[in-house]
Amino acid sequence: MSKTAPSTRYIRTPGTLGREDNSLTFRSEERGIVHLPIHGLKELYLLNEITLNSKLLSFLSMAGITVHFFDYYGHFRGTFYPKDARVSGKVKLLQAKACLERRIPIAATFIGAIAANIHEVLYHYYKHGNKEIKPYLNWLRKDVPRLLDKMEIIPRLLSVEGEIWRRFYDTFKTFLPEDFKMNKRVKRPPDNPLNALISFGNTILYTKTISQIYHTHLDQSISFLHEPSDRRFSLSLDLSEPFKPLLVYRTIFELVNNRRIQVNKHFEKDYNYCILNGTGRDVFITALEDRMKQVFDHGTLKRKVSYLSAIKYDAYKLKKHIVEGIPFVPFLEKEKR
Amino acid sequence: MAKNYNYVILVYDIGEKRVGKVFKICKKYLVHFQKSVFRGEITPANLIQLRAELKKVIDEGNDFVAVFKMTGDYVFDEEIIGARMNDSESLLL
Repeated sequence: MSKTAPSTRYIRTPGTLGREDNSLTFRSEERGIVHLPIHGLKELYLLNEITLNSKLLSFLSMAGITVHFFDYYGHFRGTFYPKDARVSGKVKLLQAKACLERRIPIAATFIGAIAANIHEVLYHYYKHGNKEIKPYLNWLRKDVPRLLDKMEIIPRLLSVEGEIWRRFYDTFKTFLPEDFKMNKRVKRPPDNPLNALISFGNTILYTKTISQIYHTHLDQSISFLHEPSDRRFSLSLDLSEPFKPLLVYRTIFELVNNRRIQVNKHFEKDYNYCILNGTGRDVFITALEDRMKQVFDHGTLKRKVSYLSAIKYDAYKLKKHIVEGIPFVPFLEKEKR
Repeated sequence: MAKNYNYVILVYDIGEKRVGKVFKICKKYLVHFQKSVFRGEITPANLIQLRAELKKVIDEGNDFVAVFKMTGDYVFDEEIIGARMNDSESLLL
């Protein structure tokens, strides 16, 4: 058990979140009254019907706390930001300019990083005797960089990305247990347990990235790999992409292969096992959160950083690229020391 | 160089009149652990703030607050016997 108050809280029992004595109090039937220290808290995830009022939101805003709202099924509904936003017109203009002029090379670096990081994740299984995935690994390492080099239009680039992911899903059957088989990736709504895990994990990563981008001057809606016209904060989709294999998929593989997540124990039977139930979510969130907090020696910064800060540094790197023209390379697992 | 403490255990004995005020201050910074015990991670800056807030409220002649300062939450272990009333430090609520 951790002896400290975490900087992120996930609330999944229905209840009321309120301001009391300049701090936070959560009341629910299940848990009674829980006092949450306001100092040190950075993010709140509301995963159920939580009652709160505008008085509380203005208090959270003063304390600089981001709130992510989810519905009962785990769909992301929106984010509440503290007011003191880091807005910079200059960066926004340059970002828009970069999007118009240099979108393809930037998008290609994202895809390159996805391929490199998937390679890193799957190599573990190859090393431990899974020879079936060898052709895919070779393709990722040799062919993908060459393909990306000569891309001229976005749709082609996206088809390479699609191909990377499709072949990645294909490899699952070689190292995941039978009941976690997946024929193809299905979203909105996911149609089997594995798809549900992927969707939920991606959503958490996506919102974490939103919180990290918030600390930079970048505009959340101008993206490079994804269409900037998407209704969502699409820059966050871009930046979270290279981290998906490292954080979301690794967590899923670990939990599923160690039988810490099981189909008949951690999924709602009523919905044909396509959504995680309460305990399933707890197990998954805790494992994902642990992984995001994992620290490693950073080569250039010469100190220990977590994956979560690595996401923020990627945003800084992108900003530097946009403003100062310094080459942008997303986080690569193999550069980790 | 002075040490940077970033984990504390705080215990107090406060006159009845002021105990509520002290409780309210402590719960902003630390996790409530037992009736008059708080603990948890805290930044050096927040520790200074907490100390200043407490000093304003307590009667230094009669009240008593002790802060056990540690450099991290991994250098000790603890054992809990009996029921824990309220888990205010879990990631999931």
